[in-house]
Amino acid sequence: MTNLPAVVIDNGTGYTKMGYAGNNDPQFIIPTTIATRETPSGNLAAKRGIEDLDYYIGDEAILNSKTYGINYPIRHGQVENWDLMEKFHQASIFQYLRCEPEDHYFLLTEPPLNPPENREYTAEIFFESFGAKGIYIAVQAVLALAASWTSGKADQTLTGTVIDSGDGVTHVIPVAEGYVIGSSIKHIPIAGRDITQFVQQLLRERENSIPPEDSLEVAKRIKEMYSYVCPDIVKEFKKYDSEPDKCFKKHEFLHSVTKKPYNVDVGFERFLGPEIFFNPEIASPDFLTPLPEVVDTTIQSCPIDTRRGLYKNIVLSGGSTMFKDFGRRLQRDITRIVDNRLKHYEVLSQANINKDQQIQPKMIDVNVVSHKRQRYAVWFGGSLLADTAEFYSYCHSKAQYDEYGPSIARFNRVFASIM
Amino acid sequence: MLIDLQPSNRILEEALRERFNGEAEKLQLKVADFDGVKYRLSTPESKTVLNISMAMRCFGELQRYGADAVLRREYGDMLESTPESGFDVTVRVDLQNLPQDKESLVRKLSLLKRNALAAPFEIAFNAQLEGRDSELMTIHYRDEEAYYIKAQHDRVTVIFSTIFKEETDRIFGKVFLQEFVDARRSPATQNAPQVLYSPREPPMELRGVPGVQESDWVGYVTFVLFPRHFTGPAAEGCISRIELFRDYLHYHIKASKAYMHSRMRTRVDSFLKVLNRAKPEQPDSQKEKKTASGKTFKRS
Repeated sequence: MTNLPAVVIDNGTGYTKMGYAGNNDPQFIIPTTIATRETPSGNLAAKRGIEDLDYYIGDEAILNSKTYGINYPIRHGQVENWDLMEKFHQASIFQYLRCEPEDHYFLLTEPPLNPPENREYTAEIFFESFGAKGIYIAVQAVLALAASWTSGKADQTLTGTVIDSGDGVTHVIPVAEGYVIGSSIKHIPIAGRDITQFVQQLLRERENSIPPEDSLEVAKRIKEMYSYVCPDIVKEFKKYDSEPDKCFKKHEFLHSVTKKPYNVDVGFERFLGPEIFFNPEIASPDFLTPLPEVVDTTIQSCPIDTRRGLYKNIVLSGGSTMFKDFGRRLQRDITRIVDNRLKHYEVLSQANINKDQQIQPKMIDVNVVSHKRQRYAVWFGGSLLADTAEFYSYCHSKAQYDEYGPSIARFNRVFASIM
Repeated sequence: MLIDLQPSNRILEEALRERFNGEAEKLQLKVADFDGVKYRLSTPESKTVLNISMAMRCFGELQRYGADAVLRREYGDMLESTPESGFDVTVRVDLQNLPQDKESLVRKLSLLKRNALAAPFEIAFNAQLEGRDSELMTIHYRDEEAYYIKAQHDRVTVIFSTIFKEETDRIFGKVFLQEFVDARRSPATQNAPQVLYSPREPPMELRGVPGVQESDWVGYVTFVLFPRHFTGPAAEGCISRIELFRDYLHYHIKASKAYMHSRMRTRVDSFLKVLNRAKPEQPDSQKEKKTASGKTFKRS
């Protein structure tokens, strides 16, 4: 039973992606929720039967939310409640993936800047409770970089900037040679949920056919099905005015309770939704820096010898980067910022030099990589890594754990140094 | 409740359901299951012909006990006579020719492992019902673990050997299996099959059988099944549950450990609270004060 596939589990704040290595898509994408029965006495020791197994995870947890208490063990990418997380893993391994953990290697993910204690706790759960053969804990951003190798456009490097945009928050994470440059990571409070809310708001102002209880769901569907990124809002508005029948779409929805169909016109929100990444002021006054500018400042704050590499390989990951032409617009905007700065430098530094002695600076190559596996890029990168033969030598094995204890999880063998 | 493990493979079930109700697409999926079973779903020739292959460690032994016949009965013409290379069973489904009742086909296909393992049980059950003794059937379902089935004139005995890799697992397992004996005393479960547990030494039935180990890490679980447990409709559930017993046992050992861990964490938390109480209180002049906006400062 040596050649059983490794198990790849990516626990995110919103969703958990899990499956066997070597596949293209995760086998399960379930919400990271767990529904437990509130114990009446509140005392764990009062348990007599099998109450500790009376819980549900994922979609089943949400279905049972009426009679059970819903909990979210992960907040802001980091595990908050280890008891629930242990139960969550237990159910996902035995009930969902159906594997005997003693026979498999596991690849788990962690957010950048995860404290090493959390890594130790994870190792404890997997080795003590489950007796896993071996585990490897990878940083999500690095896996997203590895996933971009499939696009064929980028060379296989572990240097690049990862833009990871999920439902709650967007991160810009610079990675140089597989090391996350922790001090330069930036977060933007604009992500999928904000786009949905913005679309919902636009629809509310215009459409009156949408029943209020369904409006969030309708906004979500419109965002997922029709949205795209336009090169220029003004031109796009003009285009919609001149050829309305080509640009406006109609979509039929079913009322969630009465099951009556109703029509919704889909118009400007198609391009205005994703536009809040580039012009955040249209949605809220709280955060005003556009995404391309944030990416640029992030890279500018990194060590100078890594910057060209970081501009050259900007990788997208997560569901909210899936909009059509998102990559192209981002690349154009960043290129514009970078070129302007370069020109400005040129003028400043060479003003006093004779024309024939001036040297042209080498242009900076900006490249935004988008690929087919973007939505579950982290999981897919993990699946690629765990399918290689070297993966097993990178893992922390059970024998090592028994010998040295959980502190082995602080050490990453890919880099052969203490992290 | 997450007490039981389901006999069907959930990934297969979901993948097939999606495939049967959606559009034909290329597919390549590698999945594992308990006891080292591997599946592969693929569409090698055309998008509408789906191959489901399964590799199983003990399939050679199962074939000796009539697995082919059972699979043929369950899957009929869908079963390929020569499995794909590297696999033991291949079932081919033509997506353009699906039966009306897709759901039952999904269910049937996701029980592939269960059906293959069911063969020796069916032989034993039938032999017993006819009043015959059967030979002792040995199935090495994992590298070092096996189960043994034997029909006698009045009962069928199923014996599992299982290995505990860790000392704690062994103790948990012992306590857990002891519970089976105690639980049988309550009136609700009087009719349940008898379960005997013998750590270390193999039970009498297995004395002298080649390959039976005797070590500190091995435990033997014996089920004594009487005809009332496997006549008529009861047989199917009985087979499904017994097959998964080893995984069920290990699942619950792990669940108990998780439970112990959560108790340990609560205890540590309560100790920390006690320790924090013991901290000497700072004199008033040294205390940090808070402003309305949440900033802290010290009065000098």
